[in-house]
Amino acid sequence: MDYTPELEKALNELKRITGITLEARADTPEEAEQALSQIRCLCAAYKEKYNREDFLKSLMTDGIPAYDVNERAARLHIAPEEKRILFLLEAKTADDTFMEILRNLFPSRSRTYIVPVGGGSVAVLRPVKSGENTQSVKHTARTIIDTLNMEALAHVQLSYSAVMDSLADLAAAYRETSLALKVGKLFYSEQTVFPYNELGIGRLIYQLPVSLCESFLKEIFGDDIPESFDDETTAAVNKFFQNNLNIAETSRQLHMHRNTLIYRLEQIQKRTGLDLRLFEDAMTFKIATMVINYLHTERNR
Amino acid sequence: MASLSLQGIQKIYPNGFHAVKDFNLEIEDKEFIIFVGPSGCGKSTTLRMVAGLEDISGGTLKIDGKVMNDVEPKDRDIAMVFQNYALYPHMTVYDNMAFGLKLRKVPKAEIDKKVREAARILDLEKLLDRKPKALSGGQRQRVAMGRAIVRNPKVFLMDEPLSNLDAKLRVQMRIEISKLHENLGATIIYVTHDQTEAMTLGTRIVVMKDGVVQQVDTPQNLYNTPCNLFVAGFIGSPQMNFMDAVCKVNGQDVTLTVGDHVLKVPASKKKALIDGGYDGKTVVLGIRPEDVHDSEAFISNSPDSVITSTIKVYELLGAEVFLYFDVEGTQMTARVNPRTTLRTGDKAVFALDMEKIHVFDKETELTITN
Repeated sequence: MDYTPELEKALNELKRITGITLEARADTPEEAEQALSQIRCLCAAYKEKYNREDFLKSLMTDGIPAYDVNERAARLHIAPEEKRILFLLEAKTADDTFMEILRNLFPSRSRTYIVPVGGGSVAVLRPVKSGENTQSVKHTARTIIDTLNMEALAHVQLSYSAVMDSLADLAAAYRETSLALKVGKLFYSEQTVFPYNELGIGRLIYQLPVSLCESFLKEIFGDDIPESFDDETTAAVNKFFQNNLNIAETSRQLHMHRNTLIYRLEQIQKRTGLDLRLFEDAMTFKIATMVINYLHTERNR
Repeated sequence: MASLSLQGIQKIYPNGFHAVKDFNLEIEDKEFIIFVGPSGCGKSTTLRMVAGLEDISGGTLKIDGKVMNDVEPKDRDIAMVFQNYALYPHMTVYDNMAFGLKLRKVPKAEIDKKVREAARILDLEKLLDRKPKALSGGQRQRVAMGRAIVRNPKVFLMDEPLSNLDAKLRVQMRIEISKLHENLGATIIYVTHDQTEAMTLGTRIVVMKDGVVQQVDTPQNLYNTPCNLFVAGFIGSPQMNFMDAVCKVNGQDVTLTVGDHVLKVPASKKKALIDGGYDGKTVVLGIRPEDVHDSEAFISNSPDSVITSTIKVYELLGAEVFLYFDVEGTQMTARVNPRTTLRTGDKAVFALDMEKIHVFDKETELTITN
């Protein structure tokens, strides 16, 4: 029986990654299917055993049991105990140009690992340099972004993890950076770098179930939950919060008469019952608007 | 090279943050335009929208008359230089400059021609075989510029490219960028928060605040005729002095009273105050430090613009002296000749050059007299 296209593809793939040429004999379609499955398993096993990228990807997604990590890392010449940081990048597409730029930005392949993790996401696992601090890590993050912007002309957002001591912590670091990227894109979408430890109240809101968020909004606004406020009101409120609820300073900065600002705040009070001149109400309003944005994004997803 | 047109450009992020509001600007071919403003004012966001790195929420962007809103960044024929540029550490200067072209599969001979031409413009010819480690900060910056130049784009976009350099190198690189603009005849949009950089580099400057364009003008006009209090305070170093003053109109005479000091408004400025109905109202009086004089000759010729105070700080900068003092609780600065005899603690008399004053509406903060 002739090879099916799938079987032929699988045999070629096996040859490409291992150098081994196999012949398969199958007399029935069932046997061909079985051969295909076995060859695919062989490819997967080989990749898992000898390919750093696949190993690290599996490790990040909890695909490798803890007892097996050190042994397999040693086989791939990856030091299991080393201080490292994980950067997680997300672009529309991580094409060849994108990857080539990253590889050249981090040319040391024996210590820095660049792992595509699907879609437009790429993880960069990099050792911590001596004397590196929070500022220099942030600078590295910005350098990655700016270089990809300049060379690949791609919009990129990035999050990074805390320093991890061993490869066994990689799965947790990946979860941390994934969360930072999601929370950052949702609540701080104007930024491009989201450090794991600068997610603020967004981190809390993101963990809340939708039903709980809806109950919270209902408690504050009743049945009339606003989808959003108009631009001028939003700008005035944001500026008012930035100025620590100082009416004089806010109206000065907005080039607005203080009575106009007070009128706007009173309109919000009429609509929501919240007097933003009071700290408690201002805080409730701030959280409520973040929850509204969160639900809005969740519904659109 | 190219002309650009930004019509009613808006940027609203998914979280509701309105970063750029109704941005309108026509940029001529070969113009060197600067976006300047404090951090968070929307200048980088606008640049990134021109580049295509951020989606445009509203309005129209045209390059050479073609609408670019939905065109992919790589098809916009632009090149960028950003603040946190990185050179590829294992590559020579030549390879660093050629890298982007190699990725685009440009033929070798063409790459070589473009790299050598860019190296000539940037005076990097002798450094082409060096690795980044062996370069100074300024040379590295020139290589980063070279990577943009080899693309031969229609528009150069630069986002604070000098911010990571030390002060001395920044001055040097400013001159280099100016020369580069002349040599390339390129259209350049340059973002900075540094008003000195803006004033020295740009043919026109866009001053932004809170996502809104405040004023678009030449450096000279921004300095001499700011349209509002923000622009007046932002442009110029040391910044303009501001004092609250009460305007009094008596027939054709107009005075501004600051505490005990009564200052007579000259003919060139008083019409706007009379016509604007400012009699009895508090306005903001602005005067640049170099227009506050301590010389006896000036004081005796300007008896109607004299203020007195005690010097709090004397600061000698070599070619000039800054004197800091308070007038009615407001700190003021005078930029005077280093031969001044005034020192910290001295009682001082100054005269304001009233032809150079700026008067602003206290509520709207807009200029009254410019």
